[in-house]
Amino acid sequence: MRQRPLWLLAPGGALMILVILLPLGLAGWISTIDLDQYTLRRWVQAPFIGLGNYTESLGSGLLHSIWISVSFAVLSTLATIPIGIAAALVTQNAYRGRALVRAVFLIPYVLPSFVVATVWRTMLQPDGVVNNWLGADGSLWLSGPRSYWALILVEIWAAWPFIYLMALAALQSVDHEVHEASAVDGATWWPKLTRVVLPYLRGPVLLACLLATLNHINNFTLPFVLFGAPAPDDVNVMPMLVYVTSFQSLRFGLSAAMAVVSLIIIAIPLFAYLRAVRLDVHEEGGRR
Amino acid sequence: MSASTEATRLLPRPLIVTLTAVLCAIVLAPILYIVLASLNSDVGVASGEFWPSSFSLDSYSRVWTTADLATGIVNSLLVCALTAVASALLGTTTAYVLVRYTFTGRLTILRGLVGLQSIPGTLMLLPVFVLFSSAGNYLGLTVIGTRWGLFVAYLTFALPFSTWVMVTYLRGLPRELEEAARTEGASTLVILRRIIIPLSLPAIVVAGIFAFLLGWNDVLFASVLTRPDTHTAAVALQVFGSSQEGGAVPVYSQMMAAALICAVPVVVLYLVFQRYLVGGLTTGGVK
Repeated sequence: MRQRPLWLLAPGGALMILVILLPLGLAGWISTIDLDQYTLRRWVQAPFIGLGNYTESLGSGLLHSIWISVSFAVLSTLATIPIGIAAALVTQNAYRGRALVRAVFLIPYVLPSFVVATVWRTMLQPDGVVNNWLGADGSLWLSGPRSYWALILVEIWAAWPFIYLMALAALQSVDHEVHEASAVDGATWWPKLTRVVLPYLRGPVLLACLLATLNHINNFTLPFVLFGAPAPDDVNVMPMLVYVTSFQSLRFGLSAAMAVVSLIIIAIPLFAYLRAVRLDVHEEGGRR
Repeated sequence: MSASTEATRLLPRPLIVTLTAVLCAIVLAPILYIVLASLNSDVGVASGEFWPSSFSLDSYSRVWTTADLATGIVNSLLVCALTAVASALLGTTTAYVLVRYTFTGRLTILRGLVGLQSIPGTLMLLPVFVLFSSAGNYLGLTVIGTRWGLFVAYLTFALPFSTWVMVTYLRGLPRELEEAARTEGASTLVILRRIIIPLSLPAIVVAGIFAFLLGWNDVLFASVLTRPDTHTAAVALQVFGSSQEGGAVPVYSQMMAAALICAVPVVVLYLVFQRYLVGGLTTGGVK
């Protein structure tokens, strides 16, 4: 029996423990102490208050932020599904110029979020180009109730190519025989699409939706750059709330509790995703 | 059109043409806007012009003095390049052991690698910030505001991601070459250096590029852990953007030029490595 060179795990593993596990554990600890700008200098001695931060966070807008975050994430995901699938369907067959179209479809995904947000922020200014187009001079997109829809629209614009990529990969795995069989049967495109092709996409697209929803919930850059901190109440998503509570109000303990709660909410789709994704190597996998 | 493409065509041709045109228009309208606005004058953009009344490259030369973009780009390049190299190399060795050997806790580690990519950044940043600031109080070290501090903070998300990219690649790599080398008496380190690393070089490059992009796109960590002289391109642009409202005439044209400049390294990386990167995009949502 050969020695397994597990010591090779040491450099990467030690670093991960140091920069990931240790801070994560610390975050849990911070969420139970009363840590603010006064106690930060000697945070080890900060008073332990148990679940105090958690109960306080419920009264500090956390529930509102959870609602905003979850509804924003779900709506964004739902809206990107038809767009992504449609884009995959129209680029499935080869034609001259398809490579160019595919490259165009990837642009929103490739552009850095902070660039996307900066551009939309400029376009959505009260006297900006969007209001010019709509003929609605001076209406507000970056504050007030419309900001919520602005956030969703920009997120959809930036995120649909992810669904497109996953749907395209799934489409390419549909056997040629399936197409031919339904062609022989004389199926027209709509029944063929809904009964034959789309069922192939269900699994991969569902997986993509889980991941996309997680990414929407965790998206900090887009609201932060679009609206600035503190964000308007209508777009005060969880990452923004945690950020403002810790780095503007300097209530580190309180914001750690909020961050832990947001992790618990994420845990539901995350566990579903972890169960669905192929983790292990193929059957001959590792060895002893 | 051949019979086989006819059979696999999923939508009627008019529908394909319409959908493609609509999708392209939706994507390209804002892109066209950035380009046109960056060629416009600041006054023109502020008054809501889409098509510039006059074209000039003025904004591209003036933006460097208006915003502290050069410092940001240099800092971003330094920190992200270091993050890319470190996480790609460490990720490769870690992934190799994870793929080729079984041991207790291996599945947990794999699960952790995937799960960590979906942990809220704010949850990581908070303790990192507390640790870094206490390094000043307890050890007399200044970490917050330094590039090294930012580099360590970026490892928190770049390292698991690069490792996972390498895991997905290495598990598709046949093991015959390694077996042969082992029967010749090669040690694990030799196998890593002579076989695994050369064979998986494209994947290592992809893992590095993704780590680079994660860092380049980050605003959260950099906005807290940097000072004005160490801030990144993303923070430079964000600060530039948020300083525009409430002032006299906002310099939106220069801002669009700055936004385009910040996007250039990313676009170049994608154009050069397109074929490798698109596959990697689906392994774990880099955004």
